[in-house]
Amino acid sequence: MIIEGIPVPKFVERRVSSRSLAAFGLGFLTVFYIVPILFLYWNSLNFGGGGLFSNYERAFSNIYLVTLGRSFYFGALTTVVTLALGYVLAYYIAFRSSREKFLLGLVVLPLWIAYVIRYLGIQLLLFPSSPLVQLLGTDFGILFSTKGVIVGLTTVFLPFAILPIYHALKSIDEDLIDASRILGATQLRTVRSVILPLSLSGVVAGGIIVFILATGSFLAPAMLGGPSDTMIANVIEQSYSQTFDLGLASSLAVIYTTILLVLLMVFNSYVNLGEVLGEL
Amino acid sequence: MNRTSRFRFGYLPVALIVYALLLVPVALVIITSLTTSSVPTIPTDGLSLQWYGELAGSSQILNALVVSTVVAVASAVVSGLIGTITAFGFVRSDFPYKQTVSTVLLLPLMISPVITGLAIVQYAGMIRLPGDYPVLILGHVVLTLPYVFLIIRARLVTFDETLEQASLIMGANWLETALNVTLPIISPSVFTGALIAFVVSFGEFTATQFLISPGTTTVPVIIYTELRTGLTPTISALATVLAVIMLVAAVIGEVSGGDA
Repeated sequence: MIIEGIPVPKFVERRVSSRSLAAFGLGFLTVFYIVPILFLYWNSLNFGGGGLFSNYERAFSNIYLVTLGRSFYFGALTTVVTLALGYVLAYYIAFRSSREKFLLGLVVLPLWIAYVIRYLGIQLLLFPSSPLVQLLGTDFGILFSTKGVIVGLTTVFLPFAILPIYHALKSIDEDLIDASRILGATQLRTVRSVILPLSLSGVVAGGIIVFILATGSFLAPAMLGGPSDTMIANVIEQSYSQTFDLGLASSLAVIYTTILLVLLMVFNSYVNLGEVLGEL
Repeated sequence: MNRTSRFRFGYLPVALIVYALLLVPVALVIITSLTTSSVPTIPTDGLSLQWYGELAGSSQILNALVVSTVVAVASAVVSGLIGTITAFGFVRSDFPYKQTVSTVLLLPLMISPVITGLAIVQYAGMIRLPGDYPVLILGHVVLTLPYVFLIIRARLVTFDETLEQASLIMGANWLETALNVTLPIISPSVFTGALIAFVVSFGEFTATQFLISPGTTTVPVIIYTELRTGLTPTISALATVLAVIMLVAAVIGEVSGGDA
């Protein structure tokens, strides 16, 4: 079907450019995302009695600082575990398997399923009457503990580590690997001196994504952690919907967002985050 | 060859662990929804659909399914539209700091959805946006927009612009060119992008918990709140329904998108 004979008035012709389309999208996000976040900065200030920054005085108290530190610690721990497991699997899929497409599909598949369902699955795996726990006689104290949070975060974010590493491994010129082997390097030496350095971009990209996402996780500590495993997202939610302390919620949100933005700027100077996310 | 085979079996345990972590939890949700027992265990004495029957009998759950669907469809349409326009603008024009600005578009993916939810619910109150569907859909559009943007942008980068030039030279104006040439070519990617937005919206919980009202509770929120009182096969059944809808949408999106 050909649509024709639509006149375009001259003033529209002149105004609508590709640049204005970009401005439209950016404008939408500014009005409905950037500005709301800026309002968080505004709301975090205290205009009543007790000083303008009194919310921050509370937010910087020990309990919240510990929570913030824990978030980044859990994020880092998750990153290390996912990268270690993810690298081996990506290596296996890229170089050792005969069913690459299928194996990769199985990695992508869980990404289509809601986090809440995947965490529910982990609960089902670890709760006292689950077949695994019945079989082993114990859940090793994983459920509702720090271990539970790390297992959950690892499970959920593994694909974000595997995929960039896999792409990096696939883009290595195989002649380089062959050359290393022909010159007498062992398998391990080839991995260490050729494959690992050349796939480092994927490791860095995957690590950054996993770290960012894991640090901001709400569901993993809420569904799999114990009372002392709360992360920053949980205390923000609690102070908003349980203690109705908007000032505290906003100032905690501001602290987290600011740290994350700084980190993103640092990360972005190493890798192009837009390109990395586009590859997933 | 000899050297490789020595290492071959070293990968298998890790591969098994990773695939077990990725797939067993989801499989367990589905399997435990079919149990005859009142606790969500693996069914040993036959399968039962009674828990699905319980879902169908709950007006609260049926209502949540309707809300989730309405919100996901609306978010997919709006996100698909805005995301396509934005991706077009970014691929086809040049301006200072374009790289940095396009990273800003991806912030909703990277900053915790808790922040998005908190920021939007407060802002909606300030601008007097109605607190049921509009705020929920707005939140989901913001969260899904980056996905659509990334998908359409990837498609447009490989777009053969000489096709559009041909149309313009033959005398069509840009609107006719857009409708007759550009849109038909990229429409599979737009469809894929919209379906991914649908999937993301359908399963979103963290920001959604801030944006719901008593009448607009979504399925993931019901699953989460029900879990507070303990695991039941009914929750497994509801989660299975949610997972199946998400997977079907994702598969349709992948198949129709082809190279997307």
